[in-house]
Parts: sequence; C-alpha cells; structure tokens
Amino acid sequence: MQKTRKPFMQWLKSRKGQKCILIFTFMFVPLLLLFVFTYLPFFKMIEFSFYKMKYIGPKTFVGLDNYIDVFRRSECFKSLQVSIYYMGGAVVQLALALFFATLMVFKTKGAAFFKGAMFFPYLICGIAVGFIFKFFYARGFVLDSILQAFGMNPENIPMWLQDRSINNISLAATSVWRYTGQNMILFLGAMMSVDSELYEAASLDGANKWHQFRYIILPSIKSIVVLNLILSISGSLSAFEPPYVITNGTMGTGTYFVIMNRLAHESQKVGLACAMAIVLLGIIVLCTVAQKLFFKYAFDDGTSDESRAAVRKRKKAEKAARKAMRGGSAS
Amino acid sequence: MNMKKKAISISVAAAITLSMAPAAVFAEGDMPTIDQIKVGEDYQDLEASIKVLTNRTDIVDTVYKGYAEQFMELYPNITVEYEGVTDYEESLNLRLTTGDWGDVCFIPTSVAKSELSTYFTPLGDFETLDEIYNFCPEKSYEGTVYGIANGGTASGIVYNKKVWEEAGIKELPKTPEDFLNCLQQIKDNTDAVPLYTNFAAGWPMGAWDAYIGIAATGDPDFMNNHLVHAKDPFAKKDDMTGPYAVYYVMYEAVARQLVEEDPASSDWESSKRMINEGEIGAMVLGSWAVQQCKDMGATPEDVGYMPFPILVDGKQYAGAGGNYAFGINNQASEENQKAAMLYTKWLIEESSIYEDEGSIPALKSGELPDALADFEGVELLSDNPALEGEETLFNELNNESEVGINNDDYPDCEILEAALYGSSTLDELMDNWNQKWSDAQESLGIEVAE
Repeated sequence: MQKTRKPFMQWLKSRKGQKCILIFTFMFVPLLLLFVFTYLPFFKMIEFSFYKMKYIGPKTFVGLDNYIDVFRRSECFKSLQVSIYYMGGAVVQLALALFFATLMVFKTKGAAFFKGAMFFPYLICGIAVGFIFKFFYARGFVLDSILQAFGMNPENIPMWLQDRSINNISLAATSVWRYTGQNMILFLGAMMSVDSELYEAASLDGANKWHQFRYIILPSIKSIVVLNLILSISGSLSAFEPPYVITNGTMGTGTYFVIMNRLAHESQKVGLACAMAIVLLGIIVLCTVAQKLFFKYAFDDGTSDESRAAVRKRKKAEKAARKAMRGGSAS
Repeated sequence: MNMKKKAISISVAAAITLSMAPAAVFAEGDMPTIDQIKVGEDYQDLEASIKVLTNRTDIVDTVYKGYAEQFMELYPNITVEYEGVTDYEESLNLRLTTGDWGDVCFIPTSVAKSELSTYFTPLGDFETLDEIYNFCPEKSYEGTVYGIANGGTASGIVYNKKVWEEAGIKELPKTPEDFLNCLQQIKDNTDAVPLYTNFAAGWPMGAWDAYIGIAATGDPDFMNNHLVHAKDPFAKKDDMTGPYAVYYVMYEAVARQLVEEDPASSDWESSKRMINEGEIGAMVLGSWAVQQCKDMGATPEDVGYMPFPILVDGKQYAGAGGNYAFGINNQASEENQKAAMLYTKWLIEESSIYEDEGSIPALKSGELPDALADFEGVELLSDNPALEGEETLFNELNNESEVGINNDDYPDCEILEAALYGSSTLDELMDNWNQKWSDAQESLGIEVAE
C-alpha cells in the first residue's frame, strides 16, 4: 500500500499534479451546477416523456404513446405554423438591426443616446413587455389613438389582437421591438473591429456607403450575422411570452410553447408535454443543421470571414500572378 | 309512476330516521342541541366568558364588537370577546390542536370531516338541523353537525339595474332565449355594452363553467357524481337545460354581437367601473365580484345580481356555497360551550349579520338580503360531495379529456372564438367535448350510465 501511495503523493506535489488539482477544484462547482440544473432536469424530462404522469401522484410507463400522441394531435403541428410569423419577424429584426448598426458605425450625432434607447427594450422582462403591448394594441388605446391623431378613421383601424389575419404579426412585432436593439449592439460590436482606415481607403476609391457596407462591413461580420440568424430562427420556434401574456394563445395565436404549457399545467399531462418538448428539440436541431448546411453551401460555413469561393478565387489569382512573375523574369 | 314510488320511499326513510333522531341527541349527555336551545329564555343565570376567533380583522373591533355588545345586553352574565386572527387558516391549524384556543371559531377548511368531532362540539343531528339551516352537509360527519355556515354566497350574473331599466326590461329573464332578447333590447335602447365577456383576462371565460351544475340542471349531484358517469353530458337538451344551455348563452351573445366590440382587448379592472357606471349591462361572474363592482364607481346602488336564466321544470336554481362555519370548542368548560352555543345561535338567527354582509342567511327560513333580492323564489342548492372512493375521479376525467371544467379557461375561450369568427357551430364544439369526454371515460375505465 505504502509503495503505491508515495508516488501518488509525489505526483500530487509535482507541477503536473498541482495543475490537475487546480483544474478539478475550479471546474467542480460550475460543472456541478451545470449538471444539477441543466443535464439532470433534461434527462429527467426524457424519462418523463415515456410516462403518463401528473406533477403529483403515481406514474405509469406508456412507452412511445406520448410521442405518437404528439404527432396525432392536430394542434401541435398547426401551432408551428404560427412560428412562421415569428421567423418572418426575425428576418425583419436582423435587417433593422444591421441597418441601425451601420448607421451608427459611421459617426452619427447622439449615437450613444440612440444605442441606449434602442437597447433599452431588451432590458425589460418579457412579461412586462407583454403587458405594455396588451395596452398598446387594446381597442381605443395607444396605437389606435396615435393612428387617429394622424387622421385615420377609427372604423378603418383593424382590431390588432382579434383579427386573425394580423394578430400574429402584431405579436411578432413585439418581439422584433424587444430584440432589435440587442442584435444591433452585437452587430455594432463586430463592426467596431473593422479597421476604420478601410472606409477611408474605400471612399478614396470612390465607394459610397452602400458599397462600404456590402464589401467591407458585411463580409467582416458575416459569422455573427449567421449566428444571430440561427439563434433567431430557433427562438421563433420556441416563442412563448408574447402570445402567453397578450392573448393567452387564444384567437389562433397559440404557439407550440403555449400549447405545451397548457397541456402541462392546465390538463396536468406532464408526460405528453415532455414528449412535446423533446420533439421540439428535434425540430430545432434539424432546423439548425439545415441552416448550417445552407450557409455552408451558399457562403462557406459562415464562420470564416472569407467564403470558400473567395479563397479559391484568391488562390487562383495568386497562382496566376506568380506564373506571370516567373514568366516575366524568364523573358 | 316510478317517481311517485321513489318519493314515497324517500319520505318513509326520512320519517324513520327522524323518529330516531331524539334518541341520538340525548345520548350526547346534558349538552343541548342548537335547535333546542332558546335564545333569550334558557340559561339566563349562566355565567361565562367566551372568546370568538374570526378572520375578519377589518371589522372585528367595529361591527363584530357591536354584535357582542347587543348580545351581552340580552345575557348580562355572559361576556363575549372577539379576537381577529391574521393568516387565519395557518394559525388556526396550529391552535386547534392545543385545545386552548377560545370557544367559538370559524372552522378552517383544512379540517377534514372525519376530524370534526375531535375539535368541535356536536350541534345536533344532521336530519334535524338540515331542515333549519343552509349548508349543513359541508360540516357534518356521520349524521352529526359540527358547524353551521355563517351564511353563504350564490352564483349568478352581475348586472346594472339602471341599464336594464332604461332598456325597458320589466322582468328579469328566466330562460336563455329571454336573456338574449334582453341583451338585444339593451343594445337597441341604450349605449351600454349588453354583455361584457372580459375575454382577454381568460379566467372570466372559465367562470361560465360554474353554472353548468346546479343552475343548469337543478341537480346537486350533477357536478361531482353524475357528470363523471354521464354519456354526452354536453349535448343539447330539448328543454334547454344542462351545460349546453349555459354555453348557448355565451355563443349566441357573441354571434349576435351583444358583447364588447373587441373581446381580445377587454380589460377586467376597468370593466368593474364600467358596470358600476352603466356602461355595461351584465357580466357573468360569481357573487364575490359584486362587492368589487360596487366599490369601483360612483353608483354602487345600481349593481345587482341575478340568477342564471335557466328553467328546470319551470323552476330556477342557483348554486350556493357556505362561508366559513361556526364551530364550538369541545375542550372548553360546559358553561362556556353552552354560552358559545347561545351566542352562535343568536348571531346566525337574530343579529343583522347577513343583511350587513349581503350573504345568504344561515336560516333556511331567513329572508335574503337586499343584495340577493333577485334570488327570491330561486332554489339555492350546494353541490353534494362525490361518492366515497370517487373523490378524485372528476379531476382525473377533467384533465384526461382536456375539457377543463372549472380548471382550464381555454375551451371556454374557444366557444367565444368560434362564435366570433363563425368558424364552427356550438353543436360541433359540444360534440367535440362529448367525444373527448367519452374517450377519457373509456381510457380511465369509468362506468358510463346511459
């Protein structure tokens, strides 16, 4: 025993051993938290999805019944159609954020104020945003009064939350309002890293602002744009707060999450709701992979600042130049 | 023929039990029962000092103290003292077990029926007291009553009397169709919104579920016993009773545009002021809402409360539930128990407590307070508990079927949506509910009565 222990103690005292102790002690707490609050509940959720159960009381194993039920229910997948509105909103939101970030990267008066003002909605909690917009859209309240002040006939103003052709757009607009500022700040941060001498050089060459955006800014922040797009699309699939707080999922605004929440809490079908969550996870993973593949195909993988096509072009040009140089020296 | 036989057999059974009743009472020793005791005559020389616990800390030193003083004029030898308890349920649960908490209290709802005899003095035989007082079943166990409810509340519809008057309505409606016609009259003759749904808040839609039991069927067993075993309970009935009739009122009111213009942006807080000041004709809410509506505007006297308009065999019913019930400490001295019983009886029979609180009096023969004057002639019933062994059945079925009676507001919201957009008829919706109900009955293996 003692023979084996001694080398171990020695190892502990060595530089390598000390390094290991440090790594393990520092990693222990965050890993424990990660495990207890993320992975354990996640695996429990997978387990629950195979049971018919309530929050309290006994549970019975039902195998894949819950999953079959998810695919049989019309409302589950119909609710994913509602997510299309939020995806549309996500695209609008990215475009707006890019636009504002670009405006601010070229010296704008009061840029700091605008940055703060645009970022502010992100700091308000989602539930509060919901209540704000509940009154904003209410008949005869904020939005209607503003439109009337501009001379719109009250009879021509649609019912923002009741009219099924626009109520989902109204709701998606609230999340655009909330997240545009945050996206803008992210873009702005990436744009700051672009050397401002490039703009000067470009403008000397006669490039206007659009050219500068298209050929300098966009290529240099491409990776963060792609990242934001992926995040927003998966966010749209799991949209919850606007429909939950503003309309409670009524009038055809129930997103997947709202339906899931209702099943779990109102009808106490916890197993089914867990199965729905797992199915949604699958859908989000699929969407993300599809997006990744798409961007890889269209513009490289979106992580490097230069697309594969551009790399090939550059290499070809370099080769041609070298050839030309060799040819030149030979003659 | 069959009914007649049934009635005879019930009355025979009742007569037999009644004749046995006195024997049971006297077996309790020399404690009197609350029906025998005569306030103002018996025990004039009894000396005692009793303490009454209440949750109404807001009026314990004013209104309740006033009752105690009136009683002490009648019985100068008895001192009645009140104690207001905040966080009533929690504190009482702890204090009850010590036995030394006072003499009269409101029985906490968490005390199970089987435990009533551990803490409280028997007030009398169930068969006897049930004839005299309302809501006896709620606090009785094995044929003995341990608590008498301090009045109760009924469920109906909040309305603005002035608006209805201005619309030219002379008599309150008694059937769904009458009610809808009245709403139409309000729409035609006044500027008020006839029926305000409060759709956006969600729960006021769920509140409609409260009427499908007694108000719609007149059957105290419907909610907890019959509904569970019923086949197609939501189907339309020819005499317009049952759950269908309740949802018919909602569906048709919306389809005939007798509700607010934009239900999706209705606002509960302002609706209370609006009904008070005559901008709303009616709202379908429990009686607890009446006081809130009265408090929120300048004309509280216009806020009225009427029974839900459904006639079952020519009679209107309303669901009613008891408030907290008075219970007497069985650990206290005999004098104290007798004094406590005297005070309780005086309070529920002779004081002005029900007129003051606007609730249904404890005495069955008592007159309804002004606030519930429209319930005159309406039979007030409370739901019977589920049969033993079937207590959880309703909840299970309700959740499994996702019909969500008194639980999930969304199915009620769907009725309004269907009416608003004209996307499906009420019959289609109710067929769907019936289908879900039957499927759940089948999957839970519940016996279905034809």
